[in-house]
Amino acid sequence: MMDGGQTSTSTAPSGNSSDFVRKLYKMLEDPSYAEIVRWGDEGDSFVVLECEKFTKTILPKHFKHSNFASFVRQLNKYDFHKVRQNNEDNGQSPYGQNAWEFKHPEFRANSKDSLDNIRRKAPAPRKQTQAHDDSVPTQQIDLLNQQIVAQQQQIQHLSDRYGQMSVDNQLMLQEVMRVQKTVVNHENVIHQLVTHLVSIDNRQKRDSKSVPFQPQVGASPSQVPSMDDGVSTPLQQASKLLSDMNAEMQFNLVGVEPMGEPPKTAGIVSTPTLESAPRNHQRVVPPPNAAAASPALVYPKMNGDMEPVVYPVGATNGIDPMYSEHVNNVPYTMPPKQEGDDGRRQFPDNRKKSTNVDPGWARSPRILLVEDDATCRQIGGKFLYSFSCEIDTALDGLEAVNKVQEGSKYDLILMDIIMPNLDGVSACHLIRQFDRTPIIAMTSNIRSDDIQLYFHHGMDDVLPKPFTRKSLLDMLEKHLVHLKTVSQGLEGPQPATPATMAGQSSAAQSVTVKDDSSPSQSPAAAMNAWQSPNQFQAMATVPPSLQQVPGQYVPANPATAAYTIDQNGVQYPAPPPVAMGPGPGPARPQPRRHISEISNGPENPNLAKRQRMYVQPPQPMVGSMQATRTN
Amino acid sequence: MASTTTTKPTKTKEESPQAAPAKPRTLSEMTDVIDQSTFEQILEMDEEGEHDFSQGIVYGFFEQAESTFVKMETALKERQLGELSSLGHFLKGSSATIGLTKVKDACEKIQHYGAGKDETGANDEPDEKVSLEKIGKILETAKKDYKEAEDFLREYFGDAEPASPLPSS
Repeated sequence: MMDGGQTSTSTAPSGNSSDFVRKLYKMLEDPSYAEIVRWGDEGDSFVVLECEKFTKTILPKHFKHSNFASFVRQLNKYDFHKVRQNNEDNGQSPYGQNAWEFKHPEFRANSKDSLDNIRRKAPAPRKQTQAHDDSVPTQQIDLLNQQIVAQQQQIQHLSDRYGQMSVDNQLMLQEVMRVQKTVVNHENVIHQLVTHLVSIDNRQKRDSKSVPFQPQVGASPSQVPSMDDGVSTPLQQASKLLSDMNAEMQFNLVGVEPMGEPPKTAGIVSTPTLESAPRNHQRVVPPPNAAAASPALVYPKMNGDMEPVVYPVGATNGIDPMYSEHVNNVPYTMPPKQEGDDGRRQFPDNRKKSTNVDPGWARSPRILLVEDDATCRQIGGKFLYSFSCEIDTALDGLEAVNKVQEGSKYDLILMDIIMPNLDGVSACHLIRQFDRTPIIAMTSNIRSDDIQLYFHHGMDDVLPKPFTRKSLLDMLEKHLVHLKTVSQGLEGPQPATPATMAGQSSAAQSVTVKDDSSPSQSPAAAMNAWQSPNQFQAMATVPPSLQQVPGQYVPANPATAAYTIDQNGVQYPAPPPVAMGPGPGPARPQPRRHISEISNGPENPNLAKRQRMYVQPPQPMVGSMQATRTN
Repeated sequence: MASTTTTKPTKTKEESPQAAPAKPRTLSEMTDVIDQSTFEQILEMDEEGEHDFSQGIVYGFFEQAESTFVKMETALKERQLGELSSLGHFLKGSSATIGLTKVKDACEKIQHYGAGKDETGANDEPDEKVSLEKIGKILETAKKDYKEAEDFLREYFGDAEPASPLPSS
C-alpha cells in the first residue's frame, strides 16, 4: 500500500533522501499543478489548494494511490507539519479556507540538497496494537493507523469549522436582535409621533372651530381624513411621510443609527436623542394653541410648525432614507457631535482639579497592567495612579500569567493583545484555567471578529486603544463596582454640573462601535459596544447595567436589563399597542411620558406606575440613569 | 475637535511661556499632527508648573520611534514583511497613545502592508514586491511626519538644541 522510503527500510533510510520526499519535490516542480498544489508564498512550505483534485489526479500519478489521508500520514512520518493559523490573526489561511499547508524546515523550494536531511521519524509505536494479534499484517495496522490519524484530522477540521460557524452565528444573532429591537423602537417613535400630531391637530381644530363634538374624533391616522379636509391635509402628508420612511427603513435596517443629535435641540442639555424628540413637540405645541384665536391662521401656522417636528425626528434616528451612507456605517455609530463637544469642553476645564481623581474606592484597586510598549505602559500606569490604583506591570503575556500563577491577587487585569513571547489572548486563556480576575483587552484591533475572539477566550471587556483617561476610568468603575464605597456614579471623578455630566456620559454610552479608521475620535464611547457580546454569551461578570447605576437601584429596576440589550441606545421599550392609544385624551400622555421622565415632572398621573420603578431619584440620579439606559 | 480648539489657546499660553523660542507654535496650530485631547491628557498628569512626566514620556517615545525606524529600514532591506508589520503595529500603539495622529496613520499602513494587505487592511495584496515598495514610500512619510512632530514637541518642551537627524533619511 505505502510506497516511498518507507518500504526500503522501516528504521531510517540511509544516506540519501527518501523516495517519498523526492517525489514530493518533483511533484511541486511541475508548474501545471499550480492551481492544485504548489510551493507556499515563502517557498518554505507547500500548499494543497484543491484537496479533492489533488487526491484524484495528482496522488495517483506520483504516489500510486489516491488516499489523501495516507499522504498526510506519510508527511507526518517525515516530520512535515500542517501549518496552523495563528490565533492573533484570527483569519483564514492566506491560501484559502480549504487549503492544507505543510512545512518542514528542510523542505524548501530551490534547495534540493537539503532534502537529504529529511528523515523518516522513528517508527510509530506499534506495541500497543501488537498485543492484540500478532498475526495481523503490519501493513494493515499501518493502514488503520493512517485512517485514524486522517479521521482525527478531519474531526479537527470539522470542529474548527464548527467553532467558526458558531461565532459567525452568534454575530448574526446579535445583529438580528439588535435590528429587531431597533425596528420596534422606530415603529414606536413613528406611532407616537403620528398620535401626537393627531392630538395636536384635534386640539387645534377644536379650539379654532369651537365645535363641541370634535374632540370625539378618533386620533388614528386613518380617521383623520374623515375630518375637515383642508386642515388635515398637512397631517396626512406628515403621516404618509412617516410611514414611507418606516417602509424604507425596513430595507435600510443595517444602517439604522438612532443616535444622532437632533439639530433643533442643541440648546437643550444633551439628553438621549429619542427623548428629546418629544421635547420638541412640547415646544411646538403652544404656537398652534395661540394661533387658534384666529382661524384663518390655522392652516399655514400648522404647516409651518409641522415641518421642524417631522424632519428633526427623522434625522435624530438616522433613518433618513435619503442618505444611503447610513448603510455603510453598519454597527458603528458616529459620536453625536453635540455631546462630544460638551464632553471635551468639560474635561479640559476641569483638568487642574481632576488631575488626581479619587473615584471613591473602599480600598485601592490592584491593577495588573500588561503592556510591552513602554510609552503605553507609562501613560497607562500614570493614569491608573491618578485614579488611586495600585499598579503592577508585566511586559508580556508570559510574565502576566506567571504573576497570577504565583498568587498575586489583582482586582483587574489590563491586557495588551499583541505582545512578544505570549500574546494577550493566549495569556488570558491560560489565566482563565485557574483564575477569574476580570481581564480587559487593551487593543486597537477591535473589529467584531477580533472582539469575538477576545470574549471567546475569557476576556471580560475591551478597552480600545488609544484609550483616554476617561475611558480607562469608566472601565475601572464598570468592573470594580464592588470596590466603590458609595454610589458615586460619575459625579466623583468629574465635578461637573449633573446635567452636563448626564449628557456627557450618555454620549459615551450611546455611541457604539467605531471603525478602525477613526480610533481617536471617541475611544471612550466605543467601548460600550462590547457589552453586547458579553450579554449574549452570558460571560459578563458584572452586568453592564451596573456601569453607572448605583448599586441599590439595580434590583429595583428590572427594566434596566431590558434597555441595556439595545446597544443602539434606543431607550424606551413601550410596546406599539400602547403607543397607539386612540383619542386625544389617552394620546397625549404617550409622548409626554418621556418628557416627564426627563424632567422628573409629576405632571401626568399616568406616570405613577413607571416612575415607581425609578424610586423617584434625585436630579443627578436621573442623569446617570439615562446614561445607563442608553446602553 | 471644534470645541477643543476653543479651549486650547488659553491653555497653551499658560503652559508654554518658558518654552518659547522666537515664534512658538501652539498645540492648536498642530492639530493635524498631534491630537490635542490625547496629548493634553498626558500634560494633565504633570505636576503643577513642570513637565517632567510628559517630557519623559515624549522623549522616551523619541528614542523608541527612532530605533523602530532603524529596524524598519533594516527589515525593509531584508524584505521581511512580517517584521515590518509588527514594527508598524508597535509604533502605531505608542504614537497613538501620545496623539501623533499622522505617524500613527502611517504606521498602521505599514502594519497592513507588511501583513500582505492593502492600506486599509481589508483587502489582500498578494504581491510582495508591491507591498515592499509601498512600505518604502510610506516609511518616508512616517519619518517626515515624525520629524515634524518631534521638532514641534522639542520646541514645546523648550529644547533648543536641534533634534537628532533621522537615520538614513
